[in-house]
Amino acid sequence: MSHSSADSVPAEGAIAFVSPRHGPGVVGGAEAVMAEAAAGLALRGHRVEILTTCATDHFTWANAVPSGVETIDHDVVVRRFPTSTDTSGVHRRRIGDRILAGEQVDVADQQLWMNDSLRVSDLWHHVLDHGRSYRALIFAPYMFWTTYAVGQIVPGKSIIMPCLHDEPTARLDIFAPLLEGARGIWFLTEPEADLGRRLFDLPKRQAVVGAGIEAPTNHEPERFRAEFGIKAPFLYYAGRREWGKGWHELLAAFAELVTTHPTDLLLVTSGVGELDVPPELSDRVVDAGFLSSSQRDNAMAAAVAYVQPSAMESFSRTVLEAMAAGTAVVANGASDVVRHHIERSGAGLLYQGRAELVEALRFVADEPRAVDNLAIPGRRYVADGFKWADVLDRMEDTLDRWLPVPAPATAPSTAV
Amino acid sequence: MTTLMVTPYPPYRDGIGAYAVQEVKRMRAKGDDVEVLSPLPSAAHQHLTLGGLRGILALVKRAGRYRSIIVQFSPEMFFGGCHGPAERVAVWGGIEALSYRTNLEIRLHEIEFGPLRRNPAERLAAARALRAAARVTVHTRPEITNLSQALGLDPSTIELVEHGQNFTMATTMSRAEARTELGLDQDQHVFLAIGFLQEHKGFDRAIEAFGRAGLGRQASLHVVGSVRVNHPDLTAHARRLDQLCRATPEAVLHDKYVSDEEFDRWIVAADTVVLPYREIWSSSVMERAKLYQRPIVAADVGGMGDQAPAGTLFFDDDESLVQAIKERAQTTLSRLADRVPAPGANAGPAEAESGSSWEVSVELPEREGVEAQIRARARARALDERSARRDSSAQAVDPLLSIGRLERPRAVSTRPGVSQIKRLIRRVINWEVDPIAAQLESLQRATVEAVADLEARVAGNERNNPDTPRPPER
Repeated sequence: MSHSSADSVPAEGAIAFVSPRHGPGVVGGAEAVMAEAAAGLALRGHRVEILTTCATDHFTWANAVPSGVETIDHDVVVRRFPTSTDTSGVHRRRIGDRILAGEQVDVADQQLWMNDSLRVSDLWHHVLDHGRSYRALIFAPYMFWTTYAVGQIVPGKSIIMPCLHDEPTARLDIFAPLLEGARGIWFLTEPEADLGRRLFDLPKRQAVVGAGIEAPTNHEPERFRAEFGIKAPFLYYAGRREWGKGWHELLAAFAELVTTHPTDLLLVTSGVGELDVPPELSDRVVDAGFLSSSQRDNAMAAAVAYVQPSAMESFSRTVLEAMAAGTAVVANGASDVVRHHIERSGAGLLYQGRAELVEALRFVADEPRAVDNLAIPGRRYVADGFKWADVLDRMEDTLDRWLPVPAPATAPSTAV
Repeated sequence: MTTLMVTPYPPYRDGIGAYAVQEVKRMRAKGDDVEVLSPLPSAAHQHLTLGGLRGILALVKRAGRYRSIIVQFSPEMFFGGCHGPAERVAVWGGIEALSYRTNLEIRLHEIEFGPLRRNPAERLAAARALRAAARVTVHTRPEITNLSQALGLDPSTIELVEHGQNFTMATTMSRAEARTELGLDQDQHVFLAIGFLQEHKGFDRAIEAFGRAGLGRQASLHVVGSVRVNHPDLTAHARRLDQLCRATPEAVLHDKYVSDEEFDRWIVAADTVVLPYREIWSSSVMERAKLYQRPIVAADVGGMGDQAPAGTLFFDDDESLVQAIKERAQTTLSRLADRVPAPGANAGPAEAESGSSWEVSVELPEREGVEAQIRARARARALDERSARRDSSAQAVDPLLSIGRLERPRAVSTRPGVSQIKRLIRRVINWEVDPIAAQLESLQRATVEAVADLEARVAGNERNNPDTPRPPER
């Protein structure tokens, strides 16, 4: 990490990805897509910067890494700005509860809710001072302050990658100016774009650019088993262990399965967040902690099935990684995006509600070979539809049309 | 040393905040070291709850750290939380004290003359505070006159600062592009009234006058804005505007919260910006209309006459507003008459991106078939569970049964020390939470029993009816 100020002048015409967090240890689909898109565009010769915070934990937003500028692989410049978390969070919780309960919350309270968490004043002022020097500023996901507040400073150069879920916060008035005023919108999937069009009066410049899945050429399931001493067949869940991601519903369904059905299935999980495993499951749930991407790929391949219990997905990267690993997916059909992946690929099972989840897990326990065969079309689905090269082509194409590089000024003629 | 700007600030949507950020940007571009302090947490570097004596005293305490302080003054920011005239006087005293700690500029965007008239002590305190400041700045000459007369100040000590001196364009669209983006007719004369929907803005006057002007389809009026807070008076006013627009052909209310860019897009799209204010000191909307050289029809109130560009049509009453609207609409008629249509003139941008019992073939499993079985089994299991409770085949109680028993989260954590803290918190709150939990359980039990009982009765009726479909046999 260099000690130069994060607020130094950026290279003229650079593409900036504004991400709430960046770097090793960060778990988040939007952050991962931003990091990979940044690297991909840099490899294609674009000047690319990542403007981010010093935080790695999206609960505390504590400054965990130093502020400043560093240059990482492929000459991507990373500028880190310190977060402020000096508010009590009382409004965030109080108003947040009202929002989740579906109450009408006025704009003043919506703004209070948004600003009673992390804020990144130096990042905001960096974009205020230098925003026009960038060719484009890409923001994701929509509900973080870094997108909401910073994304409205130079709307004419801002592309929002909202990573929308169908959730109460997506219906807040405060997000309309962000999305409706942006230069363009990048969606990750068609269902997300449909949702965006239902909720907002979006600009005409919108495209489903998607995101790529970098599938390894060779998975090593046995390596994962050996590394973690896992011999029994297992279900796998990777990601944030949070209520909003459906983790507790998965735990409850798994508990019902193992207490009512003869099976030696384990539930293996990796990622961040508290497990809250009930005592009766303590020998059935394995926390692999935070895994590297290769470890995660191997875990995906080693699992009998990958479970996606979240109803709020805008892309569902892990579902695609599981498919790429040749593993079937048991997924919450309440998510339009996951439904889209499963229905198009055929490589998994959809359920609605906990009772169906229990039965789906019972099927996995009873019919592992059928589950293996169910997974077969998944590999092709991912290989054909989620190539980074195609995604980057779409990103470049939209950038060229929405925010073309200005033509160099013609030198005055010296002919007489 | 640093300059501190005290102001409402983005991302809060606020007229003074939007004004201030442009000044901050200009100063930073010049190389000035500027920090911002806002009354609410925002993109500012610091925040401090103002609006009363405690807030101003805290600000006075910090003031010594700064070479200068620019206060973007509004009564709401400094007096919004005051509990009476005495506290207001004390706040003015605090503002005066700021001047003794640093170089203070008070940029007056608005001042409440009512309390100053009613309370001589406040009048005296305000006059002392403004006299003590290094600079007092306003946007229009009438404000200088009013202020100096109200407080007995020497007018020459109050400086004029052009309202729009720091304003920059938020859109580069042409009128045609803006209209295409907003879905507006290219040929109509577009009147625009834009801003928060508040009675003093007088948008209702504009709608009524537009209706009376009887321009037919050659013109439209667009009222764009949102209610700032859910106060009954404000929402009632917004409803009234909506009703007026519905009753007025070609008048449309766009009740929406718009970005800075969309705000400017509307201005660019407009042929005439209407400022029908009942009261105002000076207008940021007028400055934005000036920025894009859009003609203005404005009420002759406050400092508008001083702020307005040449060519602005002023009105004193509703009748003269009708006349001004008719006069402005004529310009489009003339333009249309003169215009030779250009090929594709109406075209917008071209792009619009727009060993089991499962019935399954192990070798060729069919997803939908398996899912159908999963659904059927989940349903059947719920039926079984209910049957175990009572002999019934009804289903309405399913969701209630699936809720499960109320269980409080375990007070454990993998993080060191957190489990002990959780257990301690639990012990502290048990006396309050336990009765609530017990009540919830009773309620849940009673609800399940009541619905199940109802189900049984319905099922009984169904059994007696030969046409009722039967649940599948397992």
